[in-house]
Amino acid sequence: MLRALATRFLSMLATLLAVVTGAFFLMRAAPGGPFDLERPLDPAVLENLRRIYRLDEPLWRQYLDYLGSLLRFDFGPSYFWRDISVNELFANAIPVSARLAALAILLALVVGALAGAFAASRARSKTDVAVTAAASVGVTLPNFVVAPALQLVFGLWLRWLPTGGWGDGALKNLILPVATLALPQIAVIARLTRAAMIEALAGPAARTAQAYGLPSRVILGRAFRSALLPLISYLGPASAALLTGSVVVETIFGLPGLGRYFVEAALNRDYTLAMGTVVMVAAVVIAVNALVDVAYAFVDPRIRHG
Amino acid sequence: MDRPTTAFSRFRADRAAFSAALALIALALFAFAGPSLAPLAYDKAYPDYVKAAPSWRAHPHADEALTALQSVADHMHVTVASSTPQNGALAATLTASRPIDPRLLAYFPRSDAFGEAKVAATRDDGKTLDIVAALKPIPLYAGADANGRDLLARMMVGARISFIVGALGSAVAVLIGVAYGAVAGYAGGRVDAVMMRAVDALYALPFIFFVILLVAFFGRRFELIFLAIGAVEWLDMARLVRGQTLSLKRREFVAAAEAMGVAPLDILKRHIVPNLIGAVAAFLAVLAPRVILLESFLSFLGLGVQEPLTSLGALIADGAHNLEDAPWLALLPSALLSAILFAFNILAAGLSDAFDPRSRR
Repeated sequence: MLRALATRFLSMLATLLAVVTGAFFLMRAAPGGPFDLERPLDPAVLENLRRIYRLDEPLWRQYLDYLGSLLRFDFGPSYFWRDISVNELFANAIPVSARLAALAILLALVVGALAGAFAASRARSKTDVAVTAAASVGVTLPNFVVAPALQLVFGLWLRWLPTGGWGDGALKNLILPVATLALPQIAVIARLTRAAMIEALAGPAARTAQAYGLPSRVILGRAFRSALLPLISYLGPASAALLTGSVVVETIFGLPGLGRYFVEAALNRDYTLAMGTVVMVAAVVIAVNALVDVAYAFVDPRIRHG
Repeated sequence: MDRPTTAFSRFRADRAAFSAALALIALALFAFAGPSLAPLAYDKAYPDYVKAAPSWRAHPHADEALTALQSVADHMHVTVASSTPQNGALAATLTASRPIDPRLLAYFPRSDAFGEAKVAATRDDGKTLDIVAALKPIPLYAGADANGRDLLARMMVGARISFIVGALGSAVAVLIGVAYGAVAGYAGGRVDAVMMRAVDALYALPFIFFVILLVAFFGRRFELIFLAIGAVEWLDMARLVRGQTLSLKRREFVAAAEAMGVAPLDILKRHIVPNLIGAVAAFLAVLAPRVILLESFLSFLGLGVQEPLTSLGALIADGAHNLEDAPWLALLPSALLSAILFAFNILAAGLSDAFDPRSRR
């Protein structure tokens, strides 16, 4: 078990190193730099800038420097927002994205698992068909289609909720973005729960429980436990999907989170900010996946003792 | 009841999947034949009809013709004394304090509402003109965007980009995925383990962030977009192909080829890959909508094809900026994109049922 954890941790670090290396050389290979403005800078000024940002050193030095500063959790200065460091931007942006993602996955787990369990408990009924159909709609609709539709209905026609803005994280500003982020996850989680529970309910354990005359509440509860495994392993892909979704959601709703900063950084050729975001996002997704593996091992005795 | 036996007859019997296939053919016709059949060009702007609402009647409507007439009269420095609508034209009486030069009627065709205007009668020493101005019919069935361009034609062009990128991006993903998966599956053993472990590691990465960087830094070129998308979406293909290859390589015809001393690469090319075609083709219906979705996502962020060309994602982004006064600009392209994605998904479910009857729902 400990050995497996250590291997997992090492492969996690290796993947992260590959991401950092890939991002670093991708940036350096890109044509045009952050200081290519409409009006060319004075050569002396450019020379100074390059020295301050250490762009005049050999590439391998820059790479090692960057790795070194990453080890100290220092993402360097932003190339675009001249007086601000990437760390300062992150300090503001990460809480925003983290709150959105956490609320979205919470909502998705509760609503998705309930809907899936409900559908499984009356498989092939009209309710089941409706939940399945709704889930395939939720999976198919892209979030950049859902978000404007929600803005239109709840923001402009009904005027219940603001169409955008952070408002210091007020509940009414959070509802639409969280709903947009959660919708596809609700659909996937409902599908996973339904499929796993239907399989468990058809299995010998459920049949035996039924033969013993246990109440259906208990049988359903046991079947739900077997749906936990696919749900836990889905959390890995879900974290990647939520971070990707945050790019669209934060752009549409004008929220000051990581995703929006990332798009702006990419468009502004803000190398350090864009690279920092990629590293950050990759680290989160890789960490979540590793945690999922560990949690899986704790939940599933076959893996724990195997 | 007899269960249909061949894959095609099973597919044909699946009403949902069959209608999805028909719908996709119709959507593809809309996208590829549409632009040449559409009455208006996708990149022609009509400043008079900025954000005009969808309408079955061709513009100019009666009120628009009057507004346009007033604006033309202002340019000519004349007053509109009266106007009466005629069949496909507008008759008007123009007056001024000095004689009106008939050459000023050249202002009419410059408006989006009128064609040529002719003098019907001259009165008061030329200070009063009776004119007949032909109306220029402009049908905006889906309305016009914020620049006054026909949304219908733009949706057709956008859907065409979606289909083209969907096809090319899928082709790239298939090429990489089939090559990678077939080699891993056929090689087996340690090579297979390492290659598939790499795929697992790649699965965990938020690749879309890399694609955004790539497209933002290396220019928003069309080739780059579908190459980047294909380079992201090959992972599932590789897994599928590897699984199929593992079972294929245990078959007798592969053993026979090996016994005859055929080189491994030739076995892959002649015996393995041709037998993968069915599974790969069925998986295309899963792959294509993902590629289309990713392209629309990039376009939505402003990283896709560039103006005046457009894509469904770019149209939705434009529409999202004009939700308040022109909601159809977001709703119609959204509906079109959703229809394409739904049709592919239903088709994919039907194909997987047809090719693998054991997995029937």
